[in-house]
Amino acid sequence: MPSLYVHVPFCLQKCDYCGFYSHSLKNSSSDLISVYLEGLEIEMAKRQKDTPPGVSSLFIGGGTPTVLSELQLEGLLGMIQRYFPMNPEVEQTMEGNPGTITVEKARLIRDLGINRFSLGIQSFDDDLLCGVGRVHTAAQAREAIARLRSAGFENLNLDLMFGLPGQDLRAWQASLEEALSYSPEHLSLYGLMLEEGTPLFEQYEVGNDTNNTRGCLKTLPNEDQQAEMHEWAVRRLGLEGYRNYETSNFALPGYECRHNLGYWRGADYLGMGPGGVSCVNRVRWKNIEDVCAYKNLLSEGKSPIDETGQEVLSLQECMAERMILGLRLESGVHLKEFEIDFGTDLRDIYRSVLERYKDTDIFIVEDEYFRLNPRYSFVANSILQEFV
Amino acid sequence: MAQASQRIRNFSIIAHIDHGKSTLADRLIEYTGALTKREMEAQVLDSMDLERERGITIKLQAVRLSYQAQDGEVYELNLIDTPGHVDFTYEVSRSLAACEGALLVVDSVQGIEAQTLANVYLALENNLELISVINKIDLPSAEPERVKQEIEDVIGLDASEAILASAKTGIGIEEILERIVTMVPPPQGDDEAPLKALIFDSKFDAYKGAISYVRIVEGRVAKGTRMQMMSTGKSFEVTEVGVFAPSMRIVDELKAGQVGFIAASIKNVKDTQVGDTITDADKPASEALPGYRKATPMVFCGLYTVEASDYNKLRDSLEKLHLNDASLIFEPETSIALGFGFRCGFLGLLHMEIIQERLEREYDLNLITTAPSVIYKVNTVHGEVLSIDNPSNLPKVDQIVSIEEPIVKATILVPSEYVGAIMELNQEKRGAYCNMDYVSTSRVRLIYELPLSEIVFDYFDQLKSRTKGYASLDYELSGYKETDLVKIDILLNGEMVDALSFIVHRAKSYNRGRKLVEKLRGIIPRHMFEIPIQSVIGSRVIARETVNAMRKDVLSKCYGGDISRKRKLLEKQKAGKKRMKQVGNVEIPQDAFMAVLQIED
Repeated sequence: MPSLYVHVPFCLQKCDYCGFYSHSLKNSSSDLISVYLEGLEIEMAKRQKDTPPGVSSLFIGGGTPTVLSELQLEGLLGMIQRYFPMNPEVEQTMEGNPGTITVEKARLIRDLGINRFSLGIQSFDDDLLCGVGRVHTAAQAREAIARLRSAGFENLNLDLMFGLPGQDLRAWQASLEEALSYSPEHLSLYGLMLEEGTPLFEQYEVGNDTNNTRGCLKTLPNEDQQAEMHEWAVRRLGLEGYRNYETSNFALPGYECRHNLGYWRGADYLGMGPGGVSCVNRVRWKNIEDVCAYKNLLSEGKSPIDETGQEVLSLQECMAERMILGLRLESGVHLKEFEIDFGTDLRDIYRSVLERYKDTDIFIVEDEYFRLNPRYSFVANSILQEFV
Repeated sequence: MAQASQRIRNFSIIAHIDHGKSTLADRLIEYTGALTKREMEAQVLDSMDLERERGITIKLQAVRLSYQAQDGEVYELNLIDTPGHVDFTYEVSRSLAACEGALLVVDSVQGIEAQTLANVYLALENNLELISVINKIDLPSAEPERVKQEIEDVIGLDASEAILASAKTGIGIEEILERIVTMVPPPQGDDEAPLKALIFDSKFDAYKGAISYVRIVEGRVAKGTRMQMMSTGKSFEVTEVGVFAPSMRIVDELKAGQVGFIAASIKNVKDTQVGDTITDADKPASEALPGYRKATPMVFCGLYTVEASDYNKLRDSLEKLHLNDASLIFEPETSIALGFGFRCGFLGLLHMEIIQERLEREYDLNLITTAPSVIYKVNTVHGEVLSIDNPSNLPKVDQIVSIEEPIVKATILVPSEYVGAIMELNQEKRGAYCNMDYVSTSRVRLIYELPLSEIVFDYFDQLKSRTKGYASLDYELSGYKETDLVKIDILLNGEMVDALSFIVHRAKSYNRGRKLVEKLRGIIPRHMFEIPIQSVIGSRVIARETVNAMRKDVLSKCYGGDISRKRKLLEKQKAGKKRMKQVGNVEIPQDAFMAVLQIED
């Protein structure tokens, strides 16, 4: 059974580091949301017919899904339940950002079946938030947490970022400590990455100051400082009973994100909405990143797929992905599952890699799993490269 | 017969880089109608892309112009182009030897430069008639009177007759052609005497074999002549003779005074050495033309391919380049760090750069080049004298009695305000002062003896930066001198990287050893483990730096929409790593092997 992802490509304003497809509502009319919902309904109707019934989990991401009005949210969730009905036990996550979550919205989505919420806090320091173009404040974050909890969310993820311009270890510790004080069931800790095409990349890598900071760029923490922030967090969260079950993700036992585990274990997924990516039976495709074109194609009965982004994954690529994603997991890659899916033992396929590392403590084979020694999880790229 | 050669003029152009030689040559070709304007494109004589890009002539060219002079007669003007760089002094001397006259082209803004002066002396040694041309007079900053004065003061030529020209706009072109006809003497030489043809260049053609570019000094040559190389005694049957008009055109025969080419199905350019004399095997000349010597490489480096599998391609490419360039030498060598490659010898640094660039561009090779070295002479305890062109082959200290290094006599022309800067530079570079004189009121000629290894190191860059580009340099090998030299080896993670070893004067060893490890620390990427970098002399460590272990190298997120992109990112990083060389378990980027050149004293 595939999982279902629905992309909501709207935000109040795009953050300076964000490379995902999303429209800033500052610059586009809110009519675009109606166009989006119309297109999405056609896509869902069509995809429902092509897919066997049932989805394993739901994730509504973006963008910022919570910028939709109550009425629009009601429409969106109703639509999903109509075409892809789910039991209440199925994990159903919605992402959102502080400043867009009203008491009413929180109640509404909880009532309509959303049972997990992922909140983009990033930091509890207003200066640092402002420095990367986040439009909300720490106070709004605290308010959002309270509203979500009182609406009945018992599975809450908080996103935090480290390596922000001007951030030091103490500032990072302060944000993480405050996050812990709200006892979230799940935490995602992301190191800031400079993605090509984003304002932050322009500022720091290219040297074009699109944000017009007049040369007063705050220093980006270096590799060693970032590593210290991460290592401190791993230790601290470990003491609180969180498991670092994936490179950037931490959960109390039983609260691991099932939807994301699906990606990391190589399960199929359906991605809907403009920019949504699907991968079924080793074919991966992406809907076009243009709300109007997306909707127009669908109303003309055509496919909204971006032809250039379509790939048929070779067996080798599929295996490579299984390894590079699976080794991000604390548990690692399940040997038997790999053998069932690909018809071969991964220790045979990657014999030369294992041979090269045989005198190191980098790989561990234990309890039917092949995994990375957690000591190396923060420097995994050069090891993961061996599998691509 | 004698009358025909009366209407031949053989000349070349002497000019510094950028003083407008190629443009002037183009203009002369265009004016005499050897090519129509449409055929001209730009700068016909600089036929390699590389030459055009750098604005220099590397490979010699020749062209025959047909000019109807004001006296009504049609003259055959042979322009023999010369390469404008110190690396190719010998080639220049042979080109000049093929001529009776030369245009001395001087930029009306910049004045005379060291290489121009060196070539003027070569021209005077060959008794050439010199015609002064002051070029670029269309520039607002032109100072023709000052330059004229300089020509008189520096060279001692009467510059009152100097032609004011602008090759760019065409000013003075006809005057130049007229002056060539009236001033340059027609070639002497007897058509009926035994053949003597001077080779001033050669070129390899896939169909015709090695073709000699020649000036017939005496006698005649035609298809069927049995020709003989006087330096080796080898003989060949001539299959074609012809002229450059400007592309190759076959003629019935070439005779005394003429410039052209001779093809004889010769398989190897080594048999058509520049400066050699071709004679008729059936009626040989009693002695060869003077001035022949074998080209001797002065600068050596190791060339390796990034991909070991490209080794054969590199060998084939070097062989192809060698077909046209007998001065390029190469032999296989093995480096522990770099694998199989070639030790290559070049006439100089520019020659080396050109070969490297052509290998990469024309033959699509991805190369690793080791820092250039000179040939050291090592006297061993066993009484042998070893020639060492690769620092890693230097014998152990206890085997060495003494080491000698090549010394050059360097001539530097510089505006007088930079004399102090040059003297300081030469001091730092272990130079020995020989002479200094004022060539004009504002320009000075300095003569120093300098170790060639210092010139190879970073002398050109330093010379340029310390004189704002106003100094020019010419040098020639003057001999060998015993010096206190040591070899510095570099250890990465405890393992010696042979390709990073270099030889240096003892007094500079500590400083260069320390700076190199500092430089390498910045070049070598972090690994999963800590990497000590050490400079050692023998077993003594003189400097140490550490590349810290990598601490963060991870993708922060990787979800459904992003998996393909992230997989490709890893693929790309992996490909980037493949371009590095692995020594032990350390991956070394290509530029590390040239790092020694990027440090300053």
